[in-house]
Amino acid sequence: MNELLSPPPLAERVLRATIRDAEWRDAVTGDLHEEFVDIARRNGKHAARRWYWRQALGLGARFAVARVVPRAAPRRWQVADADVQPAGGWSIGRDAVYAWRAISHRPGLSAAVVGTLALALAANATVFSLVDALYLRPFRFPGVDRIVLVSSALNNDPDADHSSVAPADFRDWQRESTTIDTLAASTFWDPNMSGVDEPEQVPGFLVTPAFFRVIAAEPLIGRTFLDAEGVPGQDRRVVLSHGLWARRFGSDPAVVGRTIRFDGEPYEVVGVMRPGIALPFGAEVWAPLAWPEDRWSDRTRGGLLVMGRLADGQSVDSARAEMAAIIERQRQTYPDTNARRGATVVSLTRGLADGFAAPLLAIWEAAALLLLVVACANIANLLLARGSERQQEFAVRMALGAGRWRIARQLIFEGAILAGMAVLVTVPLAIVGTGATRQGMPATIQRWVPGIDFITLDTAVLVATMALGAVATVFFACLPALQASRADAALALRDGGRTVIGASGRGWISKGLVVGQVALAVCLVVGAGLVANGLDRAVNGTPGFDRRHVMTAELRLDGRAYEQPEQRRQFVSAVLERLRGMPAVETLAAASSLPYTPASGEPILPEGVALTAAEVQVARVQRVTPAYFDALRIPLLEGRTFTDDDRADTTPVAVVSRSFAERYWPGRSALGRRFRTAQDGPWLEVIGVAGDVVQDLLMNRTVPSVYRAAAQAPTFSTAFVVRASGDPLDVRGELRRAIAAVDPELPVLHLRTMEAVIAERAGGATHLARVLTVMSGIALLLALMGIYSLMSYLASQRTQEFGVRMALGATRGQLVRLSLRHAAAVTTVGIGAGAVLASALNTVMASALFGLVSLDLPAILLMTTAIGAAMIVAGWLPAHRAADLEPTEALRLR
Amino acid sequence: MPPAPPYLGEFEYAVLLAVLQVRDEAYAVPVREVIEERTGRPVARGALYTALERLEAKGCLRSRMGDPTPERGGRARRYFSVTPAGLRALRSTHAALNRLSEGLEAILERP
Repeated sequence: MNELLSPPPLAERVLRATIRDAEWRDAVTGDLHEEFVDIARRNGKHAARRWYWRQALGLGARFAVARVVPRAAPRRWQVADADVQPAGGWSIGRDAVYAWRAISHRPGLSAAVVGTLALALAANATVFSLVDALYLRPFRFPGVDRIVLVSSALNNDPDADHSSVAPADFRDWQRESTTIDTLAASTFWDPNMSGVDEPEQVPGFLVTPAFFRVIAAEPLIGRTFLDAEGVPGQDRRVVLSHGLWARRFGSDPAVVGRTIRFDGEPYEVVGVMRPGIALPFGAEVWAPLAWPEDRWSDRTRGGLLVMGRLADGQSVDSARAEMAAIIERQRQTYPDTNARRGATVVSLTRGLADGFAAPLLAIWEAAALLLLVVACANIANLLLARGSERQQEFAVRMALGAGRWRIARQLIFEGAILAGMAVLVTVPLAIVGTGATRQGMPATIQRWVPGIDFITLDTAVLVATMALGAVATVFFACLPALQASRADAALALRDGGRTVIGASGRGWISKGLVVGQVALAVCLVVGAGLVANGLDRAVNGTPGFDRRHVMTAELRLDGRAYEQPEQRRQFVSAVLERLRGMPAVETLAAASSLPYTPASGEPILPEGVALTAAEVQVARVQRVTPAYFDALRIPLLEGRTFTDDDRADTTPVAVVSRSFAERYWPGRSALGRRFRTAQDGPWLEVIGVAGDVVQDLLMNRTVPSVYRAAAQAPTFSTAFVVRASGDPLDVRGELRRAIAAVDPELPVLHLRTMEAVIAERAGGATHLARVLTVMSGIALLLALMGIYSLMSYLASQRTQEFGVRMALGATRGQLVRLSLRHAAAVTTVGIGAGAVLASALNTVMASALFGLVSLDLPAILLMTTAIGAAMIVAGWLPAHRAADLEPTEALRLR
Repeated sequence: MPPAPPYLGEFEYAVLLAVLQVRDEAYAVPVREVIEERTGRPVARGALYTALERLEAKGCLRSRMGDPTPERGGRARRYFSVTPAGLRALRSTHAALNRLSEGLEAILERP
């Protein structure tokens, strides 16, 4: 009748795997089998199966532990036994067993320690994975360390970026450099892709054919570019990125050989790149850079991004030295154009890293480490409190001959086991943390952040976390160990273990730790507050224009259809014409760029002033249609704005910002003055002065800016600005339809309200503020926990004293005040120290985060007061509890 | 003089007594049942196996494998019996406890 009844095979297999001895294995599984049959007969098969699983897992765990840890003596004799040295010296296993027993003896406390440490470690793991992915190793393909970036800059150009090499310079380097094997130049090319269902702008690059040899990237299918394709006429070829191929072409291999239209021109697809290659910046498509010869001989304008592959045996340093020599020769040979030009060679990893990332990551890393320190202080305090409970145990052991080192070692072991458990708990937390961070990265900045896909919990992060865990263990386990090893055995035994250390030494250590915690928490909270406050000011402050009720559309007029300025001008007026008179539209205008989006910066050369090269300032120049000022409600302070009479064939005119006028013509009217933006450019006559406007996130409102008449210089990038009489989203559809009606092939890059433009621009900073806020919240929580546990401990130590005082007539209120005085003192000192630290932090952050940090004294006062109040409450609870005991009870308790 | 018999922990003491109670057929299942029945306290299987193994290692118990039986999934039982050393340890622990309780009968045996 029992032929069908057998235990769950998987459970049995698990159990058998844990038992080493074959005879025991049979005996144990046999016993369980027997009982299983019995239970199944009585309570049914399902109950029996559940029972079996429970038993198998319980027993399995027990046997698994026994396999690893040598068997220990019976529990009741652990104290004496632990100090008898086994014949072969001390054994790690034995220490581990005792440590484990001490830990499992106080599950609540151990869970608090593990939880605290895991939270702090998870924060560190998350930030470290960011640092690793974005800064240390943003590119992970073989040979990446052989690739260098060569950039060139005018000596005094603060805004120099990677795309700065003049074509003729590049040709020289290519010919002369021996330390760099192959050099390739590339330039931004974000073409409009059409002829495949919906038109779309694709991020891409024009590259010289050697590009793929430099980065040593093999195509997945097809081929890369031939040298012969780097000349005009032969260049209508593209290589697609793996992502684009999968997204738009359904991973169809037959796409190779097909023709696709980019910017209206037919391009033949010659290959598909393998996944993971998006160099230089988020490229989804590459085409040959095929300029006519005369363009290659230009030395005046930069614009190329140059990458090279180091020759065998050469290093970045030797390449830099050689490049310096080449640059020197160029300065001699072409003094007109190259006299002030320098060049640097940096590794690809350093070179393409986002400039904003380094300070940002440093701040996160610092915050995470602070959090870990707070957590360690907290844990040290918890363990110290327990250490005094265990005084008697240690005293007995020392009386029986255990050395101090022996006891200290066990405590460190306990710390290590707790840390090990915390690392295990960290893993799922860190997976959640990295996932949230990756997703939280605003889409707008993702292209500029190489390595974003590597923000995961990988081996490197895990190793770093374990190392931090080990460091943390030393940090928090050593104080209790030191304290235990100092215990005086005789005193502890005589006193029944009461308040030996607690009354004096340990009190100071604990209080010091809590003061430190409060200080660091205040520091973090204030730091996060500074960023949040600065951000709020940047996003919601007064930008000098009215952001409400404005809808915008950004696009780029590329390809043959818009080659001529007149074609671009016509497109803009055609769209504006279609929108004019629509009921929901109040004012409409067009501009080359919107505030809070990238705009061209041009050098300002005022008439009649001789500026040295170093004195020339760059200002933001926008081309706008006449109604632009109305549409954004930018006030006109002086003169007039543009009219339809400012045309290509009339005097070039400009409206300047107030700060611009004050910088170049202080104390005088700017009207009628002239300046130009290039040595050979036309003179622009100032016809009006407009109010200052915040042109970009973190940019001061007084940064000078210039408006030119769009009709006099139509640009490729174009933005429509529509002020609606009501909800701006009501005109969204109209705007899109008007653009599509004029050119259905043209993709609209962004269609969003002006408020959305600002919010998206602030996305990265918002992200920063969010992360800091989470971290400071955790730190604050830990500090509250710390003060609570300190007060509980002190109260428990003084219960007897309270009893005596009550018996002598003290009221409860007096007793509570007595303990609260401690909490208040610790909090005050902590906040004071925190305030000092925070003001130092403010200075550091202000320099690292440009305009983002804003000191707001009332806000800081409010925050610290709130922290102080929370601290007092955390201290009041245990004090109140202790004072609530009946005097007789308090006297009897130890 | 023979070496002093090892001191038995409370649970070990109980296990040895239970093995004696079950006599010839003493393997883990009935041993556990006897302890639970007579002490009224639940016994974890893991603790029992650990105690049995430890007592065998101390020389208080010896074991032999029986024949495989089908109701056990074709696996053998491990039968335990108390060794002379085990008996000595039992007697010494028993005597020690008796000496400790001498004169306390009035308290200990109160109904």
